[in-house]
Amino acid sequence: MNDMLAVRVEGLTRTYTTDGQPVTALAGVDAAFARGTFTAVMGPSGSGKSTLLQTAAGLDRPSSGRVWVGDTELSKLSETKLTELRRDRIGFVFQSFNLIGALTVEENILLPSKLSGEKPDWHWLGSVIERVGLTNRLTHRPAQLSGGQQQRVAIARALAVRPDVVFADEPTGALDTETAAEVLALLRSMVDEFGQTVVMVTHDPVAASYADRVLVLADGRIVRDLPQVGAEKIAEVLATRWKA
Amino acid sequence: MIKLAMRLLRQRPGTSIATLVALAGGVMILMSLAVFVQSGLQFKPEPKQFAAADVVVAHRHITVSTKEFDGETTTSEVPLPEGTVPAGLADQIRALPGVTDVQAVGVQGGRASAIAIKAPAGTHAAIDKLATEAGVESYAGDERGWAEWSTSIEARSLLVEAGSAFGGYVVLLIVFVVAGTVGLSVRHRRRDLALLRAVAATPSQVRRLVVAEAAVVGLASAVIGVPAGLWATHWTHDQMVARGFLPADFPIVNPALGAVVAIALTMGVAVLAARIAARRVARIRPAEALGEIAVEPPKGGRIRLAFGLLTLAGAGVSVFFAAGLSGTAALAAAIGMLYLFVMAIALLAPWVNGFAARVLAPVLRTVWGVSGDLAVANLRANAKGMSAVLSALVLSVGFGGSVWFLQDNLQRQTVAQSRDGMLADRVVTAPRGLTAASVAKVRQIPGVEAATGVRRTSVVVRIFDGAEPAVARAADPAQLASTMDLKVREGSLAGLTDGTIAVSALQASSSSWKVGDTADMWLADGTPVKPRVVAIYDRGLGFGDVLLPQSGGTYDELLVRTRGNADQPLAAFGTVTTAGQLTGQLSRDLAVSAWLNKLLITVMVGYAALAAGNTMVMAALARSRELALLRLAGVTRRQVRRMVNAEQVGLLGTALTVGAAIAAATLIAVVHALTGTFLPYIPPLGWVIVLGGTTALALVTTILPVSRLLRTPPVRAAGTKE
Repeated sequence: MNDMLAVRVEGLTRTYTTDGQPVTALAGVDAAFARGTFTAVMGPSGSGKSTLLQTAAGLDRPSSGRVWVGDTELSKLSETKLTELRRDRIGFVFQSFNLIGALTVEENILLPSKLSGEKPDWHWLGSVIERVGLTNRLTHRPAQLSGGQQQRVAIARALAVRPDVVFADEPTGALDTETAAEVLALLRSMVDEFGQTVVMVTHDPVAASYADRVLVLADGRIVRDLPQVGAEKIAEVLATRWKA
Repeated sequence: MIKLAMRLLRQRPGTSIATLVALAGGVMILMSLAVFVQSGLQFKPEPKQFAAADVVVAHRHITVSTKEFDGETTTSEVPLPEGTVPAGLADQIRALPGVTDVQAVGVQGGRASAIAIKAPAGTHAAIDKLATEAGVESYAGDERGWAEWSTSIEARSLLVEAGSAFGGYVVLLIVFVVAGTVGLSVRHRRRDLALLRAVAATPSQVRRLVVAEAAVVGLASAVIGVPAGLWATHWTHDQMVARGFLPADFPIVNPALGAVVAIALTMGVAVLAARIAARRVARIRPAEALGEIAVEPPKGGRIRLAFGLLTLAGAGVSVFFAAGLSGTAALAAAIGMLYLFVMAIALLAPWVNGFAARVLAPVLRTVWGVSGDLAVANLRANAKGMSAVLSALVLSVGFGGSVWFLQDNLQRQTVAQSRDGMLADRVVTAPRGLTAASVAKVRQIPGVEAATGVRRTSVVVRIFDGAEPAVARAADPAQLASTMDLKVREGSLAGLTDGTIAVSALQASSSSWKVGDTADMWLADGTPVKPRVVAIYDRGLGFGDVLLPQSGGTYDELLVRTRGNADQPLAAFGTVTTAGQLTGQLSRDLAVSAWLNKLLITVMVGYAALAAGNTMVMAALARSRELALLRLAGVTRRQVRRMVNAEQVGLLGTALTVGAAIAAATLIAVVHALTGTFLPYIPPLGWVIVLGGTTALALVTTILPVSRLLRTPPVRAAGTKE
């Protein structure tokens, strides 16, 4: 296994049954995500981009195909082992509802290490918290924070365990343009300053322009694999009709 | 894990308070019940009359052995309030070496009510042997108290019997309610739990978390439930003493054990329910949970549907079964039927709700317009979420409707039968009873058409699985036909002479006796007799289940049929009351004795209603986000309120209809078994209470919380998490 890859998927398919009708969300996807890179996954609604993220992150199991996180293959793992892998090696940032309302900012950030029973790396945590700018908010409840601040807490939590990869599903979907830019800059700096790997699903070309690479999905397949080319070019590419 | 559980609980005080209330109520009820049953079981009567004796020979219970179908023999003990021993036994005991003093008490016609003996311990075995040979018992040491018939012993039987009869149902009810409430509280936190699953928690950690929460709430409920249980025990005790069910000096045990049992049982149910609920949450794939969370999960699985239909079919069959049975078996079958129906509805609730939403759609749309339309959509979409509410409501309506009105029906039938069957217009009673000679004299009084002496007694009869006491009257058969009309359906009272009896239709079917059969029974003093059944009558509730002939001896009362001008000469024999006054007294007595049953029923219905209310408040408060979104989408506050009203009408209408149908089926089956009529009596006030109570419940538990939710600006509420 290549040490340079954080995540690799091979021949990934996923079909659902909705109202008795089989629906193909992923129709055979091969992709690899190198360490220390920022990838944006794009595509129209129903293209399978969220499903790709969920199967690659071990939140959902593929119908066929295989997923490696580092050198661990996920298909053989039990639900408990899979959870442990997510907890110790994967960070998540969702669009909303990222935080447990009953817990303070600090407790939310420490939740994964608390549940794994391992001692957190305080030095690392300190630098992450400082970088996301939450030093003065550690005792606040999520409800007392703005949407952008909540996403920053989620990013801090995702990074707290020094994961192999951070998966972000429309992390700026619920934010205004200015706050979204702050959050994206933060994700970018996590890659540049801390050498983290980020895979982000988004439908926003501006958000995708923060990435090093853009994967475009349509009808459950990768139709384009572009290096960072700027928001306008991305928008242009997306506007093309894809033949499945 | 406990710390995290407590943090999560604090976040949702509404949900945890609802669970807390249900659990604390359970602890309170179970604890009181346990204390009274334990007091009954541990009761040891203090010897008073025989305090000076060493051994007492008496006859206080008979042991009946029954052969089961599988050839095994079971024995049951039936208490004997008027048991006697052969007076001759005293002489035999006196002849034993070492016995210093023997006194037969209450000797009458060769029988004594008891024999008190002074003798050293070495002779006790010989005395016991003689007693056993005579078919009676000997009581020594601590046991002597049992030989004295006292109100405390009666109270003890009442506590043990009422406790065990109701205890099972109460436990079942509490299991039902606690499981439902805990399940719902887990359901309302699916989003938090799914997030935990996605980012960090293994399935077993989520399970432990949910169970830890249940345990924390369970412990907190004990803190409230135990003092409440102490208060309830005191209150019930005082009420029972005041109404004469319990002597004031009846010892009540230390409530510690009762409290422990109640807490252990309630906690056990809560933790088990939490485990089951947690399994469902833990089994969902985290991604699925995150996506699905805002939408109601699909209707219950096929297994639930299959079990529901099976239970419903079982309940349907049991209607015919219960209607075909009679007597005590029918009563037991009817209560079982009630539970089967409620269980079937609980299982089928998602489908019942969905079906009701479809059926009610046109009505709600016509009356409430747009709001009605929204209500129909909500009822259909939340069919599963509302199933706990439906089950709780159906339980309270079905339970209250059948059991409470059953009590009313019994009282009313008893009074009606004794009024309709009473042909005499005067009743004479005297403190020391009336002799046969007095009866003969009364018959000579001008203006007296007929007079019948009646003694109130009891007998022990064989029923299908053992023996039980039955209410009996011993009456002078001579002019019986002119003073009471028992509504004979088979045979004739003309044949009622020594060695025969007449029995009520209810008793006849419980003991499977027909006219001409030989009845296997014991008289109140313990004498085994095998009389022939000569008649079967309908008015058993009013006149007792067994009628024995008695010409001679002493009677308790004299039923006299007059031409209305014999009161003065009758007064020479004792207190004269009119038959109307007697009926009035009877219904007052029945009301007093029904008090305990009604208290127990009130507790159960109250608890079921509390559960329904609890569930509804929980469901209403969980809607803050949904209602806010509606208002942001342009639905006015008034329309939201109307929508909630329409939903309530739909939900309560369904619950009332289903609950009333179940109550009616149960009531008809039981009333038919006991009285032979198919039309149960429902007091008008009963309707008002059921309908008014349900409406009040809906108002307090949904419409008020929703009004509160509507006061928050929608933008703020929409941002908060569900």
